[in-house]
Order: sequence, then structure tokens, then C-alpha cells
Amino acid sequence: MKLNKTFLLLITLMISVIACKDNSQPIEITPDEFHKSVDRVVDIMVHDIFSPPVASRIFAYPNIAAYEIIAQQNPEYNSLAGQIKHLGEIPKANSTKNINYQLAALVAHMEMSKKLIFSEFRIEEYRDSLYQIWEAKNPSQFEDSKTYGLEVSDFITEWMNKDNYPQTRTMSKFRVDSEAEERWQPTPPAYMDGLEPHWSKIRPFVLDSSAQFKPIPPPKFSMDENSAFYKELREVYETTNRIVKIGDESEEVQIAQFWDCNPYVSVTRGHLMFATKKITPGAHWIGITKIACRTAGADFDKTIFAYTKTSIAIADGFISCWDEKFRSNLVRPETLINNHFDDKWKPILQTPPFPEYTSGHSVVSGASAIILTDIFGDNFSFLDDTETRYGLPIRSFKSFNTAAQEAAISRMYGGIHYRAAVEVGIEQGRKVGNLVVDKLKMKN
Amino acid sequence: MNKLKVVILFLGVLIVGCNQKDDLLFKNPSADQTGVKFTNSISETNDLNILDYLYFYNGGGVAIGDINNDDLPDIFLSGNQVKSKLFLNKGDLKFEDISEKAKIQGNSSWNTGAVMGDVNGDGLLDIYVCAVVGLNGFNGFNELYINNGDETFTESAAKYQLDHESYSSSAAFLDFDLDGDLDMYLLNHAIHTQESFGRADLRNKRSYQTGDKLLRNDNGTFTDVSEEAGIYGGVNGYGLGIAISDFNQDGYPDIFVGNDFHEDDYYYINNTDGTFSESLKKYFGHTSRFSMGNDVADINHDGWPDIISLDMLADDETVLKSSEGDDNIQIQKLRTEKYGYHYQFTRNMLFVNQQNSNYLETALMSGVAATDWSWSSLFGDYNQDGEQDLFISNGIPKRPNNLDFIKFASNDQIQKKIDNTKLVDQQALEMMPSGRTHNVIFKGTKNLMFEDKSDEWIEKDNYVSGATAMADLDNDGDLDLVVNNLNDATSLYINQTNSKANYLKLKFNYTNPNKFGIGTKVFAYSGGDLQYKELYVVRGFQSSSEPMIHFGFNKQQKVDSIKIVWPNKTYQIVKDIKVNQTLTISPEKTKPFNYNTLLKKSKPLFKLNDSTGINFVHKEDDFIDFNRQKLIPYQVSDRGPAIAIGDLNGDGKDDIYFGSSRFKPSKTYFQTDSIYTEKRIISVVNDSINEDVTAVISDFNKDGKNDLLVGTGGAHFSNKMKPLLDTYYVQTNEGFDGKLLPEFYENASVIRTNDFDNDGDLDVFIGSNTISNDFGKIPESYLLENNNGSFSIVQSDVFQKAGMITDAIWEDFNNDGFTDLILVGEWMTPKFLKNNNSDFSEEKLIDSKLSGLWQQIQPFDIDQDGDMDYLLGNWGTNSKFKASEDYPMKMYYADFDDNGSTESIVCIYKKGKYYPLLGLDELAGQIVSLKKKFTTYKDFAGKSIEEIFDKKVLNKAVVLEVNELKSGYLKNEKGHFSFVPFKSELQVSPLTAFIKYDFDFDGKDDVLVGGNYFGVTPFQGRFDSFPGALIKNENSLVLGNTIGLDFSEKSIRHLNIITLKGKPYLLATINNDKAQVYELIN
Repeated sequence: MKLNKTFLLLITLMISVIACKDNSQPIEITPDEFHKSVDRVVDIMVHDIFSPPVASRIFAYPNIAAYEIIAQQNPEYNSLAGQIKHLGEIPKANSTKNINYQLAALVAHMEMSKKLIFSEFRIEEYRDSLYQIWEAKNPSQFEDSKTYGLEVSDFITEWMNKDNYPQTRTMSKFRVDSEAEERWQPTPPAYMDGLEPHWSKIRPFVLDSSAQFKPIPPPKFSMDENSAFYKELREVYETTNRIVKIGDESEEVQIAQFWDCNPYVSVTRGHLMFATKKITPGAHWIGITKIACRTAGADFDKTIFAYTKTSIAIADGFISCWDEKFRSNLVRPETLINNHFDDKWKPILQTPPFPEYTSGHSVVSGASAIILTDIFGDNFSFLDDTETRYGLPIRSFKSFNTAAQEAAISRMYGGIHYRAAVEVGIEQGRKVGNLVVDKLKMKN
Repeated sequence: MNKLKVVILFLGVLIVGCNQKDDLLFKNPSADQTGVKFTNSISETNDLNILDYLYFYNGGGVAIGDINNDDLPDIFLSGNQVKSKLFLNKGDLKFEDISEKAKIQGNSSWNTGAVMGDVNGDGLLDIYVCAVVGLNGFNGFNELYINNGDETFTESAAKYQLDHESYSSSAAFLDFDLDGDLDMYLLNHAIHTQESFGRADLRNKRSYQTGDKLLRNDNGTFTDVSEEAGIYGGVNGYGLGIAISDFNQDGYPDIFVGNDFHEDDYYYINNTDGTFSESLKKYFGHTSRFSMGNDVADINHDGWPDIISLDMLADDETVLKSSEGDDNIQIQKLRTEKYGYHYQFTRNMLFVNQQNSNYLETALMSGVAATDWSWSSLFGDYNQDGEQDLFISNGIPKRPNNLDFIKFASNDQIQKKIDNTKLVDQQALEMMPSGRTHNVIFKGTKNLMFEDKSDEWIEKDNYVSGATAMADLDNDGDLDLVVNNLNDATSLYINQTNSKANYLKLKFNYTNPNKFGIGTKVFAYSGGDLQYKELYVVRGFQSSSEPMIHFGFNKQQKVDSIKIVWPNKTYQIVKDIKVNQTLTISPEKTKPFNYNTLLKKSKPLFKLNDSTGINFVHKEDDFIDFNRQKLIPYQVSDRGPAIAIGDLNGDGKDDIYFGSSRFKPSKTYFQTDSIYTEKRIISVVNDSINEDVTAVISDFNKDGKNDLLVGTGGAHFSNKMKPLLDTYYVQTNEGFDGKLLPEFYENASVIRTNDFDNDGDLDVFIGSNTISNDFGKIPESYLLENNNGSFSIVQSDVFQKAGMITDAIWEDFNNDGFTDLILVGEWMTPKFLKNNNSDFSEEKLIDSKLSGLWQQIQPFDIDQDGDMDYLLGNWGTNSKFKASEDYPMKMYYADFDDNGSTESIVCIYKKGKYYPLLGLDELAGQIVSLKKKFTTYKDFAGKSIEEIFDKKVLNKAVVLEVNELKSGYLKNEKGHFSFVPFKSELQVSPLTAFIKYDFDFDGKDDVLVGGNYFGVTPFQGRFDSFPGALIKNENSLVLGNTIGLDFSEKSIRHLNIITLKGKPYLLATINNDKAQVYELIN
């Protein structure tokens, strides 16, 4: 008996030792880990320099990959398969495996992001540090979830690659028509080529076509002092002159600078040229999405849902906007003001390198605000600290819509858009946003 | 025995080792050895660095001259922030620092150039030191040290009104009004940033601080006469280079100013009445963009001054591909068309004087285009072989045009701080790579070619070298150099030529107050060669050289004669002069000099004639191939217009059909008894969508009336778009009816007719040079057989796969009675297609590899041996393309990124590897994955094509090659052909048109050649300086500008002979310009 007891004890000990060895804990993924992953991608995008339309694509696909994974598990959310253009059902996870869907979603998000940005090592560093933690916690769950995340990422990649992006890379440059004064001309100081002239050929997610919300044409070009166009031009010139005189304390100047969101501003100083870089308009609204999620205490799945829906609206917003830009091909205020009023005039913001109408920031702000209001409600007040790392202050807003309105008009204060591009632009964006809200049945 | 062998071997090794050291043309004695202890130390501070002052690294000055008249040249060195120094030459390369005693140390905060000149005309060299004043807290003024004759100086700038307080870089002495005293051109620099280009006419508005000044010596005070003399002085004059020379050889000195950044260089022609006409655009097709130092010398023995202008293009791949390159084509358009600037490209330019017509620009061909961040250039016969060599000083402490800095450095924290504070300027500076690099020396050779001897002639240092001056410091007859380095000791380059080759040095004792004879010209004749020099001491960059003339005469013992032309336009001749001596020459028995004798006495053969009624202007459409195919090496859409000559209305007189570019109607000129008049042929005009590239008028259906066949192309229409179908108009009694040709779609380049099957009607070869949007794929050319006026395709790969055809001729090259066909084209070898009784097969008749970018072929018995040779127009060697038999230029053609459209990547060989011509941004603009593979420019720079692409990717590419870029001729040697290149002047641009005719009425045919081509990106520049040439035989050639042709800056497409009233005229059809008609002058 004594022996037996000892034997039993031994066995128990042994079992507990073995159990100790396989002392797996469930891996818990917090919303913050997803936010950080998004932040990391935003930083890399700033470094690598992506134009606003290309940046919008880089946000959308990783979010969709992550969303499709959590929709497999969380009955609250519906898959986007069949709802957005040509997305089929992602592979199902092997039911015999120990899958942590949230982990898989984050893996897929990082993997997709890595494919879309240039400086891959900057994602790998972050990814590997997370992998190490997860592996230590629960190697089998980690391994299975990672495998699934990568599998979905491959599936989403295959779908993504058919969006015409690769083909648009080799399409022709935008041809500047230097004879017609109403047509867009490259602007100082870098006189860059027109950016992404074929972006309307990118496959949209929800829009029927890039021209679905084709806006009304801009006021007819005329340098007649009584024409609507001339008056709008004059308004840009006089407004910026007025607020520049007041200086940096001018509310309008502050608004213009806060919403600058230009990923590449070229600067010449002495013998040097360099670029000051900020996030894109899309990234700013992704930042507001983060703030909203945190403020509302959104859980992991809701966080992904919010990012996904917003980034889809932003991406379609850019497609819609770029379609109009290269259709109306309208000259920027800076060109006309330099030619007609003052050859030394400079806008408060650097004129970005593409045609004027409609304002891209207005479109995506309008679209994003609709989505965020739909998810988080109207009168959702928040403190926007997205731009603090670029030396800009925090601004507070009563609602997403007031933020969007301010973002839109900031372009006129900044001297880079006429009023029509702002007002029609935000409407165009709202239409895109409403379409996304109406068409996508994401939440039950 | 064995031991002896070892010893001998050992000695041999020693000797070889020693020899290598002895081969150095220049030795650099240390400052301790010579006593020339001077370092231009500058220190970056938070308040003063390249962020605050764009020319922070431009360095100081050097002036050399004998200040105490002991026949030993003394050295003056200025530094930016350190005190200036004067070193008295004590002989044997020993120098004494007499700065303190001489009182020349200076008081300005920031000194720049230093020059010597006899300002007060007392026969003693004075010193003028430039300063930057009124910027960054810099104070002081330009200082003038008047030589007291006792090795001391008195600062007297105010007295002479030369105490300017502006942003000066240098000053040059010249007697522009020939009144006998020395005036001054003061070179200032702008600090205007690049925030906006600003319009070129900014130069018309004078700015005291930045504008250049012409200062006339009015009996000892210098009056600013810039305004009335027509000298620009705007806020955009970034003056860094200044050269004085009588460029047009009329006896009055002219001025060349090199301006940095976007401002054009200035070429001031002296109007001989105290004013100047700035004439850059008239004489230069393009200039260097970031112009720095420059220099002038006659490099080709024609007695006319040639110019080099420096820039900052690197040859080294790691530097080249990580530095900002040229503008893109649209920005260039904006600069030139909207802002009024001239064409400027980032590289050194070598301008060869063509006597009152456009300069030939040959830097790429001559091998001197890329010497990195270059400051000073000095021509001199350093090895005394009778040819001008070239020394170029180099380097920059930090490269501000580094792409990683521009795109990425600024990203992080530094960025914010640059904007807000100056605290981390240092950090920003450290992110820029060093641009320390060795100086460069070229050996001059015949035929405008220079050979890089930096590895053999000089020690490769690692200094940042700027201002450089030349002198015979040790009085051994050869040319020594003094280089003012930044933050390192000044270098002396002591020439070791010594007695290995002969020299002649000349000094002048001219009339007061220009004792030193500034502006004196010397024509030296020896051994059948002319050498020409002109005495201006301010040369290179921020410096002045010893006031003397130096010639090398190799092994010749005497100089046949020298002709000295004095500034007052008189001359004297000295004969039979012994070499290896220094002559001091005073005016003696002078006679008036007739400058007209310097003009080349070619008999004009052509005279523009506007009375023929031909007023055709070709306007190219605004399609830019590079917008669609961003990596292609040149355009293919601009090869028109077509021209065809023949009787179109049955009146027995030849008429002229001109094709047109896309969407523009063609034009037809009918010959009447007195004039050509334009009349529309409705059915032809209606086809104006087409771009007409080639055309033929002939009676194809044998009805006694001529028909018209037009080959269309233009590379913008693609696939099976109708405008790619050629058009065939048959003449009826009512007019012309469009008839169908067999349905094939191509970009036609050439149509040639011949009855190849001897059935009595004209058959047609139609060549094609490209497939739209698919450059690199072989297009199909066709042979059409005529059957009673309707055509059918002769199916044969010999034609369909012939290549990228540009020209063809029907020639019975084997004299078998059947007309054979010779085809030329791009990325291919000329093809001899033998006609075997209507069946064609290729014959290998050329003895060497001869794949070129062939443009034209012309039969001509150039060697006058009775058999037919073939002249071949190629691309020329004056471009960034490089090709040789061992190392051909390669074009990789494939769909690199599998997106359904192809790319073509051109690579050239450099030091063991093949590199793509284009950089990361251009390549990644098409193949985005490269941005992932190379996340910095540093990663990419220096990578060969094999390192850039995976083997798998490269393996799927078709590789096309070019091993010969020179134009030349196929010399017929009993039915086989060997290639003989033309001389250098014919290699400066692509040769695009030939015509054979007896232009000089000597009973023998000549061939007239036209060229120039602009369908390339600013990376290549513009091939604009070929003036045309008349080839009489293999040894006789005259350039077009000397015989009355105006072909420079014109892209000639066709040359034809037309007749009017029985008289022949030359018709030159030009792309995007007015056609020219010349009368032939007998």
C-alpha cells in the first residue's frame, strides 16, 4: 500500500510536471494591439511616402482581411463576401485546430499591410515581437491561428491583385495641356506630375462605378469679374491674404494647418531640398476612428468593424473624387493667382499635385463622418489629437460631421481649393458614405 | 648565374615600381616642404551652415602672379573665414609667408574669390579679394590691395570705387572698350531660393546685392555701367563662373557667365561700342544647369576659343543613382516655354566654337561630361604634347542633392526641428553623405576627345578642392597648379614634364596701363599645327593664374612662327623661335590686324531662298511617348513628316507632297512655271487623323498617271486602329481615290519601290520601326508585290521579322542584275537581302558585328575606287548611350512585373558591370516591387541589372544589343564590307538624312548630311548642335555652317533636290519646324 501510495504520488507528480510543461494560456488580443498595428502602418506609410489614393487602398485591404476573419466567429458580424466587389468567401478555418480568430485577424492585418507598404522590415519588427509573446503563451494556438491568418491573407491578396492597381502603374502619365488656361498645370515648388491619373480605373468596393456620384461640373471657367468662377478665385485670394495678415493666431490659419494632411511637402532651404511629411487625409480619419473606438470602449471585433467600414468608404471616396478630378481637370487657384493677381503669392498649404475639383479631403471627410456617425452616433464629441506628432495642436469637435465640415473648408482657407470643390466635395463624400451604410450589411 | 638572375629580376621589379611613381605627371610636395601653409578652415555653427547660406561650401580663392617682379610667381590665397595669406616665391619651390608684412590679411567676414591684376597700371600686380557682405551678418567689402612695390600693399578699394558690399564670387579684368586700361566684370551670386522658379525676366530688374556688374575704368575709378552696357543684374543671377574671351574674334573681348540653378548662363557679345548683347540662345542649343566654374581654350587648333562649363554630374554609380537627376520632360517644358529659360542639363558641357554660328556641344562624346561636384576647370598643355589637357577640381563636404536625404532624412524628429529651431542642424547635416572625391585630369587628344588620366597623372586625394590657379612655380617651363582646399591644406601640383617635352612661355610688356597685355592673342604655328592662346588670367573658379602664355611643342625643337595680336588690334610676327625658353615680347613694328582673315574661307554653296512658294511648316503633335512608355530610351512618335516628290497633275513638273502629324492635314505644293503653290487634294487632306511618316509618288497602276502611297505611323495609335493602315491613293481624271492595301497595321517608317520581280510594275517595301506601346518587340515590315496596281503581301520572315527598320534601299549589291534590298534599323545590324530571282535571303557581307541605332543609308562611292560604298547614319557617340564590340549596350525587354504590359530597360557597361541608365524612381514607377526591394536609394545605387532583378525575371527578357553608335560607312572591299567610322564632328548627333548631289559643281557627287534629334528626356539632353556636313570623299568634309546651311538646332528629316524654272534647289524637311529651301550657289 505504502508503495502504491508512493507510486500514485509519483504518477501525480509526473502528470503535474507534464501539465506544467504544457501550461498553455489562452491568448487574449486587446483592441489596443490592433490600434497599434494600424498606427505602425500609418508611420510606415508616412516614411515610405504614399499618395492619398494609394494610402486609402493600403488601409482598406488589411482591414477587410481582419474583418472577414472575425466575421467567421462572431455572429454579430456578417461577412462582406458577395457584398463588396468580387469578394468571395474566405477559406474556413480547420475545425480541428485551436484557432484564436482575433489573433488570426491581427496576423492577417499585419501580413496584408506588409504586402502593401515598401519598408517591410518595419512591420516585421513589430510583428515578430508580438509573435514571440504569443508563442510563449500558447504555441499551438499561436501556430494554428497564424497559419489561418496567413491563409486568409493569401486569399484576400489574390482578390486584391485583380483591382487593376498593377495595370494602372504602367498606364500613361497625365498629359498637361499647357495651352488651355482652365486646365490643371503642375504647381510650385516641385511641379510634380499629376498624381494617379488612372485611379478611377481602380475597382471600387461598393460603388457601381467610379462615376456613380459624378458631381455637378465646377463653375464655368471665366476670368470675367462677374462670373461665379472668378468670384470664387477672388475669394480664395482674399481670404488667404486676410488670414495670413492676422497670422498664426487666426482660427482659419489654424484650421488650414490642422487639416493639411499632405504626405509630401517639398521644401527648399539654402542649398537643401527636403520633404516635410504628414499623414494623408484618409489616415487622419483612420486616426479619428481610433479615437472614437477608444472613447466608446469598443471591443476588438467592433474596432475592426469600425476601421473596415470607414476605410472602405475612404477608398471608394478617393476613387469617386479622382474620377472627377481628371474629368474636370481644373486649374488650381495658385496658378491663376500667380498669373493674374500676384506672381509671388503662395497658398498657406502647399498645393498638392493633382487637379482641383473636387476636394479630396472634403470627399473623404464627408464619407468618413457618415460612417462614424452611423456606428458611434451623432453628437459624439471627441478630442482630435491625431496631428500632435506633427507639431499641431489638439482640436475638439462636437460631432464627426462638424469635424468633416471643418476639414472641408480648411482647403479653401489653405488656398488650395475654391469653395465649390469643398461644398460639392463634402456632398459627394456623404453620398459615398450613405451608399456604404445602405449597401453593406455588416452588423446584425 | 641563378643568383644574378634573381638580382636582375629584383632590380627589374624595383625599376618597374619606381617607374609607376615616376609616371605621375604631378607631384604634391607637402606644405612643410614648400612653406605654403594655408588651410581654408570653415566651421559650421548653429547660425552659419549650408542651411543658412547655400554657398557655404564654395571655398576661397587663389591668385598667382609675380608681385615683386623677380620672375618668380607668388601665391595669394583667400579663405572664407580665415585670414588671407601671401606667399613669396623664393625659388626651388620654397615659399615665404609674408602675409603680415604685406598687409593683405583682410577684414571681411566671408571672403570668396581672389584675383590679381594691375589695376592702377603701374606694372605691379594688385590683388582684389571678393567678399559676401550683407548676409548672415557678414560684413566688410571687396578689398583692393594696391601693390606698393616693396612687398607691401595698401587697401584702396574705396579710392577706386571697387569697395562693393554685395554677394561677390569673383571678378575679372578686361578692357572691353579698348581704351587701353583694364575694366572689371564683378561676378555676384543670388541667394534666391528655389521655392519658385521665377520667370527668366527677373534678370532685367537690377539688384545691387546679387546682380553682376560691369565696372568701367574711368581714369582710376570704376563706374558701374551695367545698365547702359546691357549687363543683366537680377535676383536670379547665381554667378559662379566667369570667362573672358574674344569668342567671335572681332578684336573686342566678350563675356561668358556660368549661372547656377535655373538661371541661364550669359553669353555677352561685345557690340564694340561699349555695350553688349546677351546672345546665349542664339549660339547655344543648351547649357549646363548647375553651372559652376568654366574655362576657355582652343582645343581643336582652329584658332577659335572653345568653352567648358562645369556642373555636378557623377560618373560613379553609387553617387549617380542616389543623387537627384534631371527634370522630367513636362517640367522642362514649363521652364523653357512658360518661364522663358533655355535648355539646361545637369552635366559638364564642352562647347566647340563654330565661328559666329552655333557651338558644337560635345562633352558626352569627348568624355568630359561627368566629373562629379566640380568647381574649377583649367585647360593647359600639362604634358606639352601640343594638345590642351584639362584639370578639374572636385568635391563637396556634404551632398545636398542626396535622394535619401531629400526623401527620408527629413522625416523624423529632425524635420520638425529644422523648421522650428536650429538646434539640430548638425544632425540634419550629418544625414547627408560626404562628397569628398578626387580631382580629375584629362589628357587632350586629337578629334575633340579627352582621356581620363586621373589614375596615372595625379595622386588621388580625398579633398574638397575648389579654386585652382596655374603657374610655372619652379620656372622649369611646365605648368604647375595650386588648389585651395576646404578644411585641408592647400595642394601644390608640381608638374614633372620637365625636359620630356618642349615648351615655349610668353610674357608681354605691353603699353601702359595694361602692362601685362591682358587680352593679347598668340597664334603659334609649328609642324603644320596651329595653337592659339589668349591672355586672360581670371579662369576656372574664383581665381586668377599667372599672366603668361604657355605652349607645349612635344619633341619639336623650334616653332615656325608666332603671330601676336595685341589688344589694340595690331600684330607682329616672330619667326623661328627656339623652344624651351620664356620670351618677353613688346609691341614692335606692329601692323593693323585684319580679323576677317580668321574666318574660315569655305565657299558658300547654299543660300536660303524664300521665293519658291514653299512655306510648309511641320507641327509635331504634343504626344509624349515617355508619358506612356516611361522607360523607353527615345521617342518613336516624332519621325515624320513624310515627303514625296513627283508629278501629281500630269503637267510634267514635279510637285511636292508633305505629310503631317496626327490630326493635321497634309499639304501638297504644285509646281507652276514660276512658283510652287499649295493646293488641297481633298481625298488626301481628309485623312488627316493619320500621322504621315513616309510617302512615295509613282505610277503604280501603269495608267500614265502618278499615284500616291503614304506610310502612316506615329506610335500613338495601337493594335488594329485604322490610322495604322497605310494609304494608297490612285489618281483618276477627277482626283485621287483611296484604295485598299492588304490589311496590315504598323507604324511605317520607310517606303521604297522597285520592280524586284522584273514584271514591269513597281513593287513596294514598307518598313516599320516600332510597335505602339510595346517598344522592344520586333514590328513586321512587308514586301508588297504589285499586280496591275493592286498589292499583295509577299509572305516571308525575311521581311516580317527584319527588325526595327528605319530605312531601306534597293541596290544590286552583288551586280547579278537583280535588285537586292539593304535594310537598316535600330538595335540591329544592316541587312543585305539578296534577290534570288524574286526570292530573298540574307547575305552576311559585313565583316564585323555592327548592331547600331541606324537611321539612314546612302549609297556613295566615298573612297572613289569605283565600287559602291554605303554611308550609314547612326546615333552618334554624344549621348549617355555607350556601346562597344566587347561591351554592347543592352536592352532588356519583358513584362517584368507581369501586369500585361512590357517594359524595356536599357543598360550600359561601366567598370565590369551592366547598369540600367535610369534610376530607382523611374524603374519603380513602372515596376512597383522594386520599391519594396530597395527601400532606400543607397540600397539601389551601385547595383547592377543582375543585382536589381532576380535571375528568373531577367531570364524571361529578350535582350537586344547595340555595339556600334558611330555613324560611318560600309567600305566595299570586293563585295564584302568593313565599317569605317566618320570623324568626330559627325558623331555629335544622330544622322537622320542624306542626299547625294554634285553640290559644288565639280562633276563629282557629294553627299549632304543632316541630323539632330530632340525626342529624348532631359536625362539625355538635346542632340541639337550638328550643323550638317558636306562629304566630298573619305578625306574631305566641310560642316554645314561654313557653306551657308542653317541646320543647327533643327531636327532634319529629309533632304531633297527640287527644281524650279530648271534650277535645282535643296529642300530640307524638318520635324516641328519650317521646311527650308536653299538656292545652290555656283
